[in-house]
Amino acid sequence: MQTNFTTKQLQNPEIAIANNILRTCVHCGMCTATCPTFVTLGDELDSPRGRIYLIKDMLEHDRPASEEEVLHMDRCLSCLSCMTTCPSGVDYMHLVDHARVHINETYKRPLTDRLLRDVLAQILPYPKRMRAALNLARLGKPFASLLPGQSMLVKRLRAMLNLAPVKMPVAQSLGGTVHKAIGETKGRVALLAGCAQQAIGPSINTATIELLNRLGIEVVIPAAAGCCGALVHHMGRHEEALQAARRNVAAWSDGPEFDAIIVNTSGCGTVLKDYGFMLRDDAMAAKAAAVSAKSLDISEYLLKIYQPSQVAPAITVAYHAACSLQHGQKITSAPKTLLRKAGFNVVEPKDPHLCCGSAGTYNIMQPDIAASLRRRKLDSLKAKSPDVIAAGNIGCLTQLAGDNVPTVHMVELLNWMAGGNKPEALNGVNK
Amino acid sequence: MILPDTEEALAAAIRGASGPLLVQGNGTKSGMLRPVQAAATLSTANLSGITLYAPNELVMSAKAGTRLSEIETALAAAGQQMICEPPHIHGENQTIGGIVATNLSGPRRVTGGAMRDHVLGVRAVNGSGEILKFGGRVLKNVTGLDVAKLLTGSFGTLAVMTEVTFKVLPVSEATGSIVLRGLDAEQGIAALSAGLGSPFFVTGAAYLPALQQAVLRIEDFATSVKYRTEKLAGQLSAFGTAEILDTDASKALWRDVRDCKYLDIAEAVWRLSVVPSAAPAILRALAPLGVTGFLDWGGGLVNLTGPADQATHEAVCHAAIAAGGTWWLMQAPEPLRAVVNVVPPEPPALAAIRARVQASFDPRGILNPGRLRAA
Amino acid sequence: MLQSKPKLNVLEKRAEIIAGLKAVLPERAVIGDDVSLKPYETDGLSAYRQMPLAVVLPENEAQVVAVMKFCHLHGIRVIPRGAGTSLSGGALPLADAVVVGMMRMNQILDINYADRYAVVQPGVTNIAITQAVQDEQFFYAPDPSSQLACMIGGNVSMNSGGAHCLKYGVTANNLLGLRLVTIEGELLEIGGKHMDTAGYDWLGLITGSEGQLGVLTEVTVRILRGPEGARAMLAGFASNEVAGACVDAIISSGIIPVALEFMDKLAIHACEAFAHAGYPLDAEALLIIEVEGSDTEQTEMLARIRDICAVYNPVSMRVSQTAEESAAIWKGRKGAFGAVGRISPDYLCMDGTIPTSQLPNVLKRMQAMSDDYGLKVANIFHAGDGNLHPLIMFDANDVESFHKAEAFGADILKLCVEVGGCLTGEHGVGIEKRDLMSVQFTPAELDQQRRIKTAFDPDWLLNPSKVFPLSGLSAAA
Ligand SMILES: Cc1cc2nc3c(=O)[nH]c(=O)nc-3n(C[C@H](O)[C@H](O)[C@H](O)COP(=O)(O)OP(=O)(O)OC[C@H]3O[C@@H](n4cnc5c(N)ncnc54)[C@H](O)[C@@H]3O)c2cc1C
Ligand SMILES: Cc1cc2nc3c(=O)[nH]c(=O)nc-3n(C[C@H](O)[C@H](O)[C@H](O)COP(=O)(O)OP(=O)(O)OC[C@H]3O[C@@H](n4cnc5c(N)ncnc54)[C@H](O)[C@@H]3O)c2cc1C
Ligand code: SF4
Ligand code: SF4
Repeated sequence: MQTNFTTKQLQNPEIAIANNILRTCVHCGMCTATCPTFVTLGDELDSPRGRIYLIKDMLEHDRPASEEEVLHMDRCLSCLSCMTTCPSGVDYMHLVDHARVHINETYKRPLTDRLLRDVLAQILPYPKRMRAALNLARLGKPFASLLPGQSMLVKRLRAMLNLAPVKMPVAQSLGGTVHKAIGETKGRVALLAGCAQQAIGPSINTATIELLNRLGIEVVIPAAAGCCGALVHHMGRHEEALQAARRNVAAWSDGPEFDAIIVNTSGCGTVLKDYGFMLRDDAMAAKAAAVSAKSLDISEYLLKIYQPSQVAPAITVAYHAACSLQHGQKITSAPKTLLRKAGFNVVEPKDPHLCCGSAGTYNIMQPDIAASLRRRKLDSLKAKSPDVIAAGNIGCLTQLAGDNVPTVHMVELLNWMAGGNKPEALNGVNK
Repeated sequence: MILPDTEEALAAAIRGASGPLLVQGNGTKSGMLRPVQAAATLSTANLSGITLYAPNELVMSAKAGTRLSEIETALAAAGQQMICEPPHIHGENQTIGGIVATNLSGPRRVTGGAMRDHVLGVRAVNGSGEILKFGGRVLKNVTGLDVAKLLTGSFGTLAVMTEVTFKVLPVSEATGSIVLRGLDAEQGIAALSAGLGSPFFVTGAAYLPALQQAVLRIEDFATSVKYRTEKLAGQLSAFGTAEILDTDASKALWRDVRDCKYLDIAEAVWRLSVVPSAAPAILRALAPLGVTGFLDWGGGLVNLTGPADQATHEAVCHAAIAAGGTWWLMQAPEPLRAVVNVVPPEPPALAAIRARVQASFDPRGILNPGRLRAA
Repeated sequence: MLQSKPKLNVLEKRAEIIAGLKAVLPERAVIGDDVSLKPYETDGLSAYRQMPLAVVLPENEAQVVAVMKFCHLHGIRVIPRGAGTSLSGGALPLADAVVVGMMRMNQILDINYADRYAVVQPGVTNIAITQAVQDEQFFYAPDPSSQLACMIGGNVSMNSGGAHCLKYGVTANNLLGLRLVTIEGELLEIGGKHMDTAGYDWLGLITGSEGQLGVLTEVTVRILRGPEGARAMLAGFASNEVAGACVDAIISSGIIPVALEFMDKLAIHACEAFAHAGYPLDAEALLIIEVEGSDTEQTEMLARIRDICAVYNPVSMRVSQTAEESAAIWKGRKGAFGAVGRISPDYLCMDGTIPTSQLPNVLKRMQAMSDDYGLKVANIFHAGDGNLHPLIMFDANDVESFHKAEAFGADILKLCVEVGGCLTGEHGVGIEKRDLMSVQFTPAELDQQRRIKTAFDPDWLLNPSKVFPLSGLSAAA
């Protein structure tokens, strides 16, 4: 597609990259059909091709982002379904990242919006703060439906309260711990413990560690490593994101080398795999690239070594593909292969490429679209009559919870069949 | 009778016409639809001959007055055929122009498409005497409005076609049929639907009430025909034990279906196009009026015959409309054809557009006035 | 590209018109600000761009009627739009026109397997119909390469084709009925759920009419039961000519495969990079041939085809063994245009059709033109029916390169007409080939078509500036 940048603009390396991305787009429109927001809203402006065009115009004219551009960029889930579809290989991810930074730098959001974003950025990446917030939210939960009005703010608050778990899990604090392999040590990995995950889904890390240990892998969680930075990254808070990246790269590059850096929240995995690009001009560039190269989703890592030790009950597992796995990291078959290897009957919903609407803080910031995508996803999953829904990302699990079908991280199912405990969520399932 | 032997002469005749013209090929079915009141008759009979035949490109062009028999003979010599297998009801004299102008298709229409689906291009003279060509000789063409399709089935009321080009296909190596007996119309249609909903690519599906038979056809390589007729018979075993016919017997059967041999022709003949599932009820509802018929196209085509009176005609039309379908009065004594709707009336918005389109081809209204609808 | 002159009285009243549209439609259905209108300035042919006056996104038929009545009353031009994947600029706006986007009308209304039809709204994507019926092993046959994204309303308007049209026909052959709203806001019901329709073949006329006659609000399509199975084979040849001769030999033998597709070397390499389908990278030309039926039937048919191919000394022949392999082969072919986006920043996709026997001749002459213009061309096409898709590669940021590409494209299409073919086999005339129409039609033929348009749209408010060359317009209107 034609672009109109001046030679001067193109001297800016960021613009040069954007220009290259824009030039690979041939404006064919194939990506529109698989974009969850286009399917839901039916407007070119809420499609990848429309967003690419908006970004192109905004950058070409080097003008501050306007309300309209922000609206449509905010609605983008960053699910990257468009990248899976695009036959031309357009790097939408880095283009939209660029646009978000531009928005963050040039657009003044309305006050409530700004406050909410600050609050989320100050709480979610920090497990302790998150726990405290959730405890508060839990108290508020029964009143969610009583909040009056339909304003965006109210809807967002309601969405936040609805996401809080009914029962608060036991606190988890894994920073600085080492978990020895059972039996002969066959490998040594670092685990990204996740931030929000430690607060709301501690059983996932527990199962991951147990399973890896059982398979002879030592698991290390360096104290210095923390939130991956995805959250602020998607808000266009570039500097904060880079800080998180630098801190983690340093933590994982320290000391004896790890065989791999394991991620069990695929949303974070996509970002880890992008550290190399994010820090490409940084002093830590080489280390960052090495960390990216070593980052593996737990399903990728398990593919070669997983062995179940017992016969699975006749349970039908509906596998929900998290966008960050299927589109962000292009991991599509590994989780299903593992679940089948564990002995489960695995089914998939119609339109598996569509996002469930979780997408980081999306379900809070865009409650209407998120709710509609959630409904659609749950309907298509439930159409397959599953006993349980499994996914590889805590965000999706939270989003899909609370609709009469238990949700679990697939690693919990794998651990169970390898000799671990039956996942608590499955207590109601007697098979 | 004006019998031009060149396209230019035909155009000149139209330009010079001082009043309405009855347009025809060989006039084999002037008994169809409404009678035309015209002082003169313009026939394409002398515009005859195949002008292009490229078997490896699956196309043939012929002047409008070329007889179907000539076309079919030439095709057969190269192992090919007309895809929609036009009926030979009026003997061998009908012209390709007449077949295209009436869009008449036989049994293979159900999956192979109608005449209108295979017309690739036409040359024609409009009511102002302008010589025009639309479409062409290639298999895919979306250049401009599809006027060739518009002229197909327009009964000579927009322009007189002088040449038509159409797609043809190889004759299959073999033909097979399965015959299911002792079925009433509902069961018959259910069997045909099951057959058409099977993966075996059925190319003919008729129900013959007088014989209580449902018949289905498969055309392909000999081994495929054998395999698929047997599989199909198996899948349809709920409808009884199927008899399987070989190529010769099949060809004879489908020739009779094509030529409406299962219609015991009375004074009036109708053709109804409806959804297949509606057909049995139509047969049943009209039987007390002395109307009989048979079903082709999986039940989507209802061929009917019965007494030629207004009450019966209206009952037939009503049945078609109630089923969301359409009808043609194919044959009836002239007094009846002159006073009834021979095709369904149009809603006003469409009628206005139709009148403007007609005037855009034939501003003087001289081509076959009243053939489709009273002026 | 020359456009008809904008109506000044309409441009001047822009604010009022947008307010008026908001009065007859929900607020969310009207787009009127310049930032938001920008992405609507073009479609799949992004070399042509024009900002519209406004965009509306109706959610139901009543809203379409309301928009049309409003626009008719105020003499405002209307551009219908589906997914905007047209490669001929069919959905390109005009400065004084309201774009009516049909993407929100995306519901499947009825499916009937016994009578074999589906009733859908125009914003349903082509593939969504097949997806809705595939659990019952049915499918909707026309399969344009853009089927993932393009919408049935656009397909009908362009009479779209696809790789499997050789056996199953194009859109026109797979339709039963339509509902459309005229510019006057009248609702017309054409055809129904039955096969033939008495009276004029409006269905045939409207199909492929490129939004010139009305806005479609509902489409009834024929659905078919799929075959027991299908398998694709690849045959690579040492030259385009030999591959062309092989196509001729296959058709002449009386075998009509379901699909018979051709790619030249540039295309093979681009598609392989995208789909990893195992295309032979050492071949100059590749045929993708698909057959259907039971396993035995497929094997028998493929054996016959292999025997024919063998005569032409293929450099490679491979039959796909699994469904995944076949899917990858088709993924490469269907993603071909986009895949060319990997090797060239821009392409113009031509769409002429030629008599199949002219294939080697035309390919040779096209290569000569390519050398003359100094622009590369990748060839991808539906060989069975002679529908060519030469993709002329150029650089849109270089004005001269674009003009050369345009001229090259025009030469190719003239060549198609010269050898007995036509300007467009499935992508439509749109704005791109409008001024070439007089190569294929005489003034009288164009006027006859214009008069038909006038009968539907007396004031020429519907998608004007497309299809019909602007010169001579006043004579007809
Ligand atoms: C009892 C009965 C049952 C029938 N059933 C069937 C059936 O089941 N299936 C079926 O397919 N057919 C059926 N037919 C119709 C039959 O097949 C037609 O007789 C045949 O198609 C007409 O060919 P023709 O050349 O004699 O046409 P003509 O009688 O000469 O002309 C037919 C019409 O076409 C117009 N026309 C002719 N030539 C041209 C031209 N060059 N340009 C423009 N317009 C032209 C004429 O003006 C006229 O309106 C039936 C007919 C009857 C009487
Ligand atoms: C990568 C790629 C591959 C392609 N491959 C093929 C192919 O294999 N075969 C093929 O035939 N085409 C192909 N195309 C072209 C294009 O996809 C088709 O023309 C398609 O039918 C356009 O559909 P759309 O929904 O995008 O319509 P649009 O592009 O939005 O519109 C197309 C035309 O239809 C009109 N229109 C749209 N909706 C309506 C409506 N509801 N009522 C009235 N008019 C309407 C518009 O005004 C316009 O003139 C391809 C395009 C791309 C980008
Ligand atoms: S699919 Fe790729 S090339 Fe096509 S419009 Fe989308 S991003 Fe651009
Ligand atoms: S990332 Fe997802 S939501 Fe955003 S444009 Fe791509 S497909 Fe749409």
